[in-house]
Amino acid sequence: MVKQESESANRPDNTAFTQQRLPAWQPILSAGIVIPGFVLIGLAFIGIGVALLVTSRSIQVLELDYTGDSNGSPCSSCSQSDIANCKCSLNFTLTTLFQGPVFFYYGLSNYFQNYRRYGASKDDNQLYGDLSSFTSPSSSCSPYNYDSSKKPIVPCGSIANSMFNDTFTLTRTVSGTTNNVTLDGKGIAWWTDYNIKYRNPSVTPLKNAFNGTVKPINWAKPAYELDASDRSNNGFVNQDFLVWMRRAALPNFRKLYRRIDASGDYQKGLPAGNYTIDITYNYPVRAFNGAKKIVFSNVSWMGGSNEFLGIAYLVIGSLCVVMSVVMLIVYAKFKFPDEE
Amino acid sequence: MVNESAESGFTWEVRANSRHYHKPKQKKSFLCFRWGRSADNVVRSYKYTPLTFLPLTLFEQFQRAANVYYLLILVLQCVPAISSVPWYITIIPLISILSLRGLKDLSNDMARRRSDSEINSRPCDILISQSFQMKKWKDVCVGDVLRIHKDQVFPADLLLLCSSEPHSLCYVETADIDGETNLKYRQALSATHEDLTSNPSEEALSSFDGVVRCEEPNNRLYTFRGQLQWRGEGLLLDSEHILLRGTVLRNTTFAYGLAIYTGADTKILRNSGKVKLKRTQMEKVFNKVVMGIVLCVLLAALFLAIGSGVFSAQLMRQNSVLSALVFNSNAVYTGFLIYWSYIILLSPAMPIALYISFELVHTVHSLFIGWDLEMYWQQADKPAQARNTSLNEELGQVGYLLSDKTGTLTQNRLLVRQCCIAGEIYGDASVRAEDVEPMDLSWNPFSCGGLFMSAPALVDRLRGNQCPLSRQFLTALALCHTVMTEWKKQTPVYQAASPDEEALVGAARELGWVFLSRARDFIVVSELGVTRRYQLLALLDFTSQRRRMSVLVREPEGGIKLYCKGADIVILERLQKDSPHQERTERALELFAEACLRTLCVAVRSVPEASWEQWNKTLAQSATMVTCDRDALLEKLYDEMEMDLQLLGVTAIEDRLQDGVPETIALLQEAGIKVWVLTGDKKETAVNIGYSCKLLDPDSRIVEWDELRQILQSPDPRVSFFKPRQTELWAVDKEMAVAKTSVVLTGPELTEFDQRPEWGATFMSLAEHCQSVLCCRVTPAQKAEIVTLVRKHTSSVTMSIGDGANDVNMIKTAHVGVGLAGVEGGQAVQNADFALAQFRFLQRLLLVHGRWSYRRISLFLRYFLFKTCSFALVHLWFGFFNGFSAQSLYESWFIALYTVFYSAYPILCLAFFEQDVSAEKSLNFPELYKCGQRHELVSPLKLSLSLLHAVYASLVFAFIPLCVFDNTVFDYQTMAITVSMAVTFTAMIEIILLTRHWTKFNIAAVIVSVGLFFICTRITHNRFLFEQSPKEYIFLGASDYAFTDPVVWLTALLVAWTAVLPSVTAHALSVILNAHDKHKVHSVSHQSVELRSRFRRGTPLRRSSYAVSQGAGSGRHITSATHMRK
Repeated sequence: MVKQESESANRPDNTAFTQQRLPAWQPILSAGIVIPGFVLIGLAFIGIGVALLVTSRSIQVLELDYTGDSNGSPCSSCSQSDIANCKCSLNFTLTTLFQGPVFFYYGLSNYFQNYRRYGASKDDNQLYGDLSSFTSPSSSCSPYNYDSSKKPIVPCGSIANSMFNDTFTLTRTVSGTTNNVTLDGKGIAWWTDYNIKYRNPSVTPLKNAFNGTVKPINWAKPAYELDASDRSNNGFVNQDFLVWMRRAALPNFRKLYRRIDASGDYQKGLPAGNYTIDITYNYPVRAFNGAKKIVFSNVSWMGGSNEFLGIAYLVIGSLCVVMSVVMLIVYAKFKFPDEE
Repeated sequence: MVNESAESGFTWEVRANSRHYHKPKQKKSFLCFRWGRSADNVVRSYKYTPLTFLPLTLFEQFQRAANVYYLLILVLQCVPAISSVPWYITIIPLISILSLRGLKDLSNDMARRRSDSEINSRPCDILISQSFQMKKWKDVCVGDVLRIHKDQVFPADLLLLCSSEPHSLCYVETADIDGETNLKYRQALSATHEDLTSNPSEEALSSFDGVVRCEEPNNRLYTFRGQLQWRGEGLLLDSEHILLRGTVLRNTTFAYGLAIYTGADTKILRNSGKVKLKRTQMEKVFNKVVMGIVLCVLLAALFLAIGSGVFSAQLMRQNSVLSALVFNSNAVYTGFLIYWSYIILLSPAMPIALYISFELVHTVHSLFIGWDLEMYWQQADKPAQARNTSLNEELGQVGYLLSDKTGTLTQNRLLVRQCCIAGEIYGDASVRAEDVEPMDLSWNPFSCGGLFMSAPALVDRLRGNQCPLSRQFLTALALCHTVMTEWKKQTPVYQAASPDEEALVGAARELGWVFLSRARDFIVVSELGVTRRYQLLALLDFTSQRRRMSVLVREPEGGIKLYCKGADIVILERLQKDSPHQERTERALELFAEACLRTLCVAVRSVPEASWEQWNKTLAQSATMVTCDRDALLEKLYDEMEMDLQLLGVTAIEDRLQDGVPETIALLQEAGIKVWVLTGDKKETAVNIGYSCKLLDPDSRIVEWDELRQILQSPDPRVSFFKPRQTELWAVDKEMAVAKTSVVLTGPELTEFDQRPEWGATFMSLAEHCQSVLCCRVTPAQKAEIVTLVRKHTSSVTMSIGDGANDVNMIKTAHVGVGLAGVEGGQAVQNADFALAQFRFLQRLLLVHGRWSYRRISLFLRYFLFKTCSFALVHLWFGFFNGFSAQSLYESWFIALYTVFYSAYPILCLAFFEQDVSAEKSLNFPELYKCGQRHELVSPLKLSLSLLHAVYASLVFAFIPLCVFDNTVFDYQTMAITVSMAVTFTAMIEIILLTRHWTKFNIAAVIVSVGLFFICTRITHNRFLFEQSPKEYIFLGASDYAFTDPVVWLTALLVAWTAVLPSVTAHALSVILNAHDKHKVHSVSHQSVELRSRFRRGTPLRRSSYAVSQGAGSGRHITSATHMRK
């Protein structure tokens, strides 16, 4: 017995794995599965497409361009001049209730926030509150890491430097009297950005942390004075700053500016009436043929309005159905070739 | 003197017993410098030393364009200005592939070292200072005198000085060189024989001071020219005096030889060809595709860089937020940098993981070959072995199988299976030799088994003395041969130049006619216990023209008899008129031929005393004549003597085939593989084997050289090749007729191809339509030349299979070389890519493993191409929407993990386990194999379709999300996650479509991959990692939002489905069309079977042959009595 074992020492193991006989499921597809499968998938896509389209259509969107590149438009004077804090205002009328909750966005176009060097132009350690990065910002911020007198810029980099600095107030005119629509700027940034990713250095008062640094060149106020009304909304955790720092995906984008505070008359949204937006026009976009706009929109389960997605689903779904019909014809031809 | 030798071309000088003279001339090398003349006797097939391993392996690996490419990418990634993705994405795979390959090469090299040292340390006796010392092979030096013992292998090419046998004859077996197993004679010069054997050998040998001048080392196995200068005499030397390395000394106690060529200079090593790195055709095609992709990437990057330059110039003019980011405020410079950034970004189109995975897949396939129980040979405990682990898919594409004969197709055992005496047939060939019931031969003291013929009736007749013809038949078998005896343990052991004769004499022994011994002029035979002494009057030797041999003996009673045996045609035409039994014997011949037995006719003639005397006188006269006249006269004389024969009977010998050879060949031919036989053996034997292993059909037309040459010379070879067949056959189908044609060539004829290179292409175009080609009497180098010829003129994959050292060269030359390990592993296995124990395992290796490998690897490559290209090309389109800034559309972690963690496992599982049909079906439907021969799965068309699909998918990946996310609040990171998700989903759906054979591993791999995508994404977006290093994990929290947003999911789903829609449709259509196709395949195969059976009806031609090595028989040695012991 022992001898026999040693004789076949090289004998391969007889297991399902080594003999390539692993139990396996070999689905056998047939026309009877494939064609109905195609129809089903097509119908499912059409269903989703319809749902998306209907939802998207139900979302109210109001877009107001205020670039002012054509003469006569409200902000044309501001867009021509380089005056800081140039004021202009936009009027619009709502004939029906703008269903709440209403979101107030600003939109920019032809603005390449997704430009690679632009996106890299920040110092994540600095923004995380690392004081050593305050004094020596990362070279990735170049050329916005030091000012002309070699003082470190905080927050450094292109993104911060180019922060959107138009401000808006919304007023409603009801029978001659104008009253402000309260805009809520709390929690418009991502929770993770506000709580984890961006941190002020744990120095009180905050201003001291910025000793020896300078504000970004394009900024009017230093980071620790961004919001005069709310002391906690300053530094790197300023909501507007956070929103801006989250780079847009594409050259045309919207960013959330405020929410319409759902209180008082505005519980159900923006009621019908005449509205005025007062704009403090600072941000130059005409240099790069950009456009600025204000967008009011409410949301559904799928977020904002998105017609394309619904249409794409409908197209692909219909394509599947058409394909299955073609297959059926082909199948019939091969199955009953004599009937021709 | 020196001048003279230079003129005759004898520039190689060997001085006996003078190591001090030869040692300094040995080849030496240091680094790349080499000097010295003669090689030492050390085999060095290894490449690395500890010192040179690292530089050499790096040098070798960076010869691969791909590795250099990755190194370049790595260097680029380290430059901050252009690093579009972090450097660690490339370094880890690059280092792992370099070290993996290096380790593999190292372990291969170690194995080579081991086998080298085994050969180098074989023992041999070298004469050093007057005594023989046991040394190793590697110590042998040119000019040494060696003593070789019986059954030892010669360590170098030696000049035979003398031997222990009379006349310094010695017997060698050259099986390893030419595949012939019969013994050959070598004889020392009489001068050396006389002087060196008379004295005590060691003294005489150590004082031997001859100088050999001969030609430079060459690869001609059968020729040698030289001169021995000794004692003022110049003695001519030829190949008769040379003992080649690799041959074995047999039946000779000692042989003494002078080493002339050692090591790499020996003829067999000169014949063995160079080691070539084999690469599969698929790899070559794929490399071209990869080069194409790289070029496209460079081109696309250039295009994008130009775009970037234009965009930057625009930015400069506009004075926008971004203009400060233009490098050096120089648009051209920015474009230049962006060019390199895009090369990095697009480089995953040709991923480094591909090469690792490719090797892994090959290795696993090789393991499966080694693990296969169906290819394990119990008797020798030998599993199959894939020695070269990178050729698996070629096994699925073989178009030409070039096989050795001896030891590969045949077992090299000849068995007497049947005989026909006086028209009576004894034995039954339809029973397998192993199953033959052994006869009771206990009455015969000399019987020692080995007769696989059950004929009790014959034994009864012989012992009962009933049938004088059968007694004469056996007397003929015992007398008419050139076999010699050697007595071992009271039994005679036969040594024959022809294995046929050995089998016949052995059979006679079993039946009671025992050939006891022979001397120069008599033969002693024991006939049923009665010892009789026949006087040998003359031996009419065998030649390939005569195809017969005879002995003229005087019986103890005084009568003179001529016993003759030979091919049926020559014997039958020499019979006396109205020979009895002739008709029945001819019928028996046909029966034997049908059973693929080799037949010999045996006949006898009583010679009157007077006519013998007359004849002998003429013969004696001929001895004084000039050679060519004498030959003609002898021919005539022999003819006169071999007349009026009386037919005794027919012997039928089976050349034992290896198990399952005919079935395997038939199966392989059905699979569309052309089987050629290349053998060093004789034409007769080869053709006979061709018939018995069903390579040739009985009604095949055999085209020999003369005819072939005419065809090749004719203006339109094809027409003249097919013409005779068309006219002579009643067949309707032209192709069937052509398929019945075979070509038989011999080595010397093949040399004509060297002079007429234009014939090669024509010959191959004809051979493509032939059933088979047999090449006989070819040298190892010629075998390789034939392989080269096939490789050159066809696009098919060639496979060589052989078992001996003579096959090494062809094994190395073919695309795939298979070595048969058989009972003992040999040189062939050492050099082969695959080692099998049995020829019949070839069907499983090719039709099952080969076919699977081909399919798996094809799918693997195409999928990989699709997966990586679609993944990387997205950046090309995204570039248009981010100002050509080389912004990645993926998180860098996704790029790093995608190819390895998210998409590699399912395709690897597919490449490991996929089976479109089971092993049994693959063997039952050999037609399925043809798909590989036509390169159907990896054709340029299929690859371009895959690429086209990849481009389409990348467009979908880029544009659907672009449209969805345009003018919305979605940020860049959410879009990156959406696209990543879509890419992963697409890869999964695509693999699900491809997989037909779902094992648990496949299912697990798909689930794990998708799972890993989500888990790893969550991990890299985790706050803990972010807090460790905020810079590396900037996607913190992005997946929290993305994974809860229905738009992200719906977009990913839409993108994935749209991306796979073309392949889903193609699969669905093929499912629908397949039902139709299957039907067609079946009806076709039915038809061909029918046709075949109709063609089988031809009458089998009789085949009778008997051949001795090298054409002429060994009768010369017997009649001159040089081989007799004193």
